[in-house]
Amino acid sequence: MMWLSGGFVFRRGTSAYHKLDPRVKLLISALMFVTTLLVRTIYELAAVLAFFLVVAAIATVLKRVARTMVFTLMFSAFIFVVNVVFTRNVETSVLYAVRFVAIVVSTSLFFITTSPDELEQVMKTFRLPRDVVFAFVTAVRFIPVMMLDTIQIMDAQKSRGLELDKGNIFRRVRNMIPVLIPLVVNSVVRSGELAEAMESRAYGAVPKPTSLVEYHTSARDKAVAVAAVVAFALGAYSFYFILPTQLL
Amino acid sequence: MIEFREVSFVHQNGVKALDGVSLRIESGETVAVVGENGAGKTTLVKQVTGLLKPTSGSVLVDGEDTKSTSTAKLSRKVGVAFQNPDHQLFSESVEEEMAFALRNFGFAPAVVQQRVAWGLELFGLEEYRKSSPLVLSGGEKKRLTLACILAWDPDVVILDEPTVGQDSIQKEKLVGTIGMLRSAGKTVVVVSHDIEFLWPVQPRVVVMKSGRVVGDGPARTLMLERGLLETARVVQPQLVELYQGLKRRPEEPFVDPLEARRWVEEAAGR
Amino acid sequence: MRGGDMADILEIDGLSFRYPDSPKRAVEDFQLTVPEGEIVVLAGPSGCGKSTLLRAVNGLIPHMYGGDYSGDVKVGGASVKESGMRDLAQRVGFLFQNPENQIFMFTVERDVAFGLENLGVSRGDMRERVDEAMRLLGITDLALRAPHELSDGQKQRVALAGVLAMRPKLVILDEPTSLLDPKTAAELVGLVARLRKELGTTFVVVEHRLDLLVKVADRLVVMSEGRKVLEGTPSEVLFGDEAEGYGVAVPAVTRVQKMLVRDGFIPRGGLLTPEELAVAAGGQGP
Repeated sequence: MMWLSGGFVFRRGTSAYHKLDPRVKLLISALMFVTTLLVRTIYELAAVLAFFLVVAAIATVLKRVARTMVFTLMFSAFIFVVNVVFTRNVETSVLYAVRFVAIVVSTSLFFITTSPDELEQVMKTFRLPRDVVFAFVTAVRFIPVMMLDTIQIMDAQKSRGLELDKGNIFRRVRNMIPVLIPLVVNSVVRSGELAEAMESRAYGAVPKPTSLVEYHTSARDKAVAVAAVVAFALGAYSFYFILPTQLL
Repeated sequence: MIEFREVSFVHQNGVKALDGVSLRIESGETVAVVGENGAGKTTLVKQVTGLLKPTSGSVLVDGEDTKSTSTAKLSRKVGVAFQNPDHQLFSESVEEEMAFALRNFGFAPAVVQQRVAWGLELFGLEEYRKSSPLVLSGGEKKRLTLACILAWDPDVVILDEPTVGQDSIQKEKLVGTIGMLRSAGKTVVVVSHDIEFLWPVQPRVVVMKSGRVVGDGPARTLMLERGLLETARVVQPQLVELYQGLKRRPEEPFVDPLEARRWVEEAAGR
Repeated sequence: MRGGDMADILEIDGLSFRYPDSPKRAVEDFQLTVPEGEIVVLAGPSGCGKSTLLRAVNGLIPHMYGGDYSGDVKVGGASVKESGMRDLAQRVGFLFQNPENQIFMFTVERDVAFGLENLGVSRGDMRERVDEAMRLLGITDLALRAPHELSDGQKQRVALAGVLAMRPKLVILDEPTSLLDPKTAAELVGLVARLRKELGTTFVVVEHRLDLLVKVADRLVVMSEGRKVLEGTPSEVLFGDEAEGYGVAVPAVTRVQKMLVRDGFIPRGGLLTPEELAVAAGGQGP
């Protein structure tokens, strides 16, 4: 749970990166993602990952991203093992494992610097239906609330003698039931209350709702976007065409 | 029984919720912890069963430091009724719900049966024995959570904001329940921002503000300190306000309306 | 303030409603008229049908919840049954009991604008109305905050601002003080009184904690098992003999006052605060 909250929950920031148009932030993360797929040797991947961390540092979120990386190592170790067992190729297995970490880093960077409002803006740009966008944004808005609920439920059940950190894996999973059921029930009740509130504030009254805030893309945003594409193109070219021939 | 020794607690986000709290609650006492929302009352409660551990200082329950034992063990002695029953009800039936804690605490099946039956009867929930706890009304759910706690017979019962969302009939029943717990020799701690409903119980009152204990004494005298209550944003019980407004009055404020009326009329007759 | 056009903002005429899976009617032959600008308190024990009644006023019944519906409810002259939610949302505002579950957006000001966005209000008008609503509720400095960072009292003000931004003539508050401590609750009640004065809005408030509201309310209506059982000014109802029988929380000081009046000790009069009663009963203390 710490991994999820540390790596993907938005927190306000004041860096220039945070202030970028969310579509540009999405572009950057998407390009990062593709880059990790194009890279073919472990050295290049390490360089790319280092570059990601530099970007994270510029965005002042290095500590969080680094911590997410550490937590992700557990999963990537698992990927490494599976690959080694099936392909018997240590080098590519390491590559896949580290690639996984790099993918998580690039995605994490996007989510921790982009607020739910900005996510909404991005989704609207992609012309997703209003209901989908609204459901998503509302769900994200309630993530901190649900996290708090989970803690309170665990507190209540611990106070009835439930020991959450004892026993083998099966016991532990079974012990989650008294936590999961109230959580689910509360979510269902919450949805009902939200629906009432939505109706009472005329949701769906008009096919094209207006918006309080307007988003403009500044010249800086455009410049950064162009720079990102150029950097990507150069990187892709060198990784794909130049470096492999050099190594061979 | 419960002792706080210079307890401070700082949340992960840096907010100091408790600041040097020292407090002793003896066995059999009835204590009301009052203060505005955010004064640290719930944080205080969570320290007792180890749900939160002090950043500095220590909390002792029956001589045992909460840092060296588990919440489950502490809960065997200290039953906490949290504010929201929907944060704990999950079983298929009311009787299963009541058996949950008993089983966790290791009671034998025969004893579990016995205690479940006793609890259901005491709280008038016998008719719902096989029903799902989730379909009960709000008031019934609150009674159920209380029944669950009393079934395992803890020495201490802590009620966290028990009157939130309750109507006057339910509040009266609650006062009755507190009286029952008292006569059973239990230590009762009620955390509430609503002192009015507790006034007839005449508990010892601990006033909290910004994580500190700013007042501690019997209700009858502490509720007279207007300045203190103002600072802590605690509202005086109406009968106390009435008492303080009278030119001639008895030594101590009225506990109930009848007493008030009797005194006023007698005083005028003299 | 009030005066001039005293049209009835709310008319409930013989309303009865039964939920589909329930054998009993939740509301039974309910009758009530509320003139514009009043503050009406609706009290009664849990389960007496208050929630159902409120939903019949703002249109959730019958538009969101179907069932056996007879009688009529009119808001500002328009029949609730026959108007759509779009129209009703602009006539009746509803502040639900749990402030958390009626705030959708990640930023306060966007949530206040939510209803207006849904109605397709132009950006300029929207900005003005959102700013006005935030100013009225004293939350302008919270405009860019996220809801989960706010206290319960603040969240409630945000939700109320969102309701007021739609400029309804009638606002329903469902147990607004249940999560608040007494001081904050008193502040909310003061706010409601001020809003009524400034905007002329009519308020229907469901509440258990009557001691806070009796001073500002014009009328107290008591419900029991779906029916209206008592109605009158707060003093009329609380001084009556039946109030306690219906589970109405008669404030302690009012009980004393009632007894003293009955014994002929003090004259009849309006509801007195503890201080006022102290004066009436025997002089001024420190």
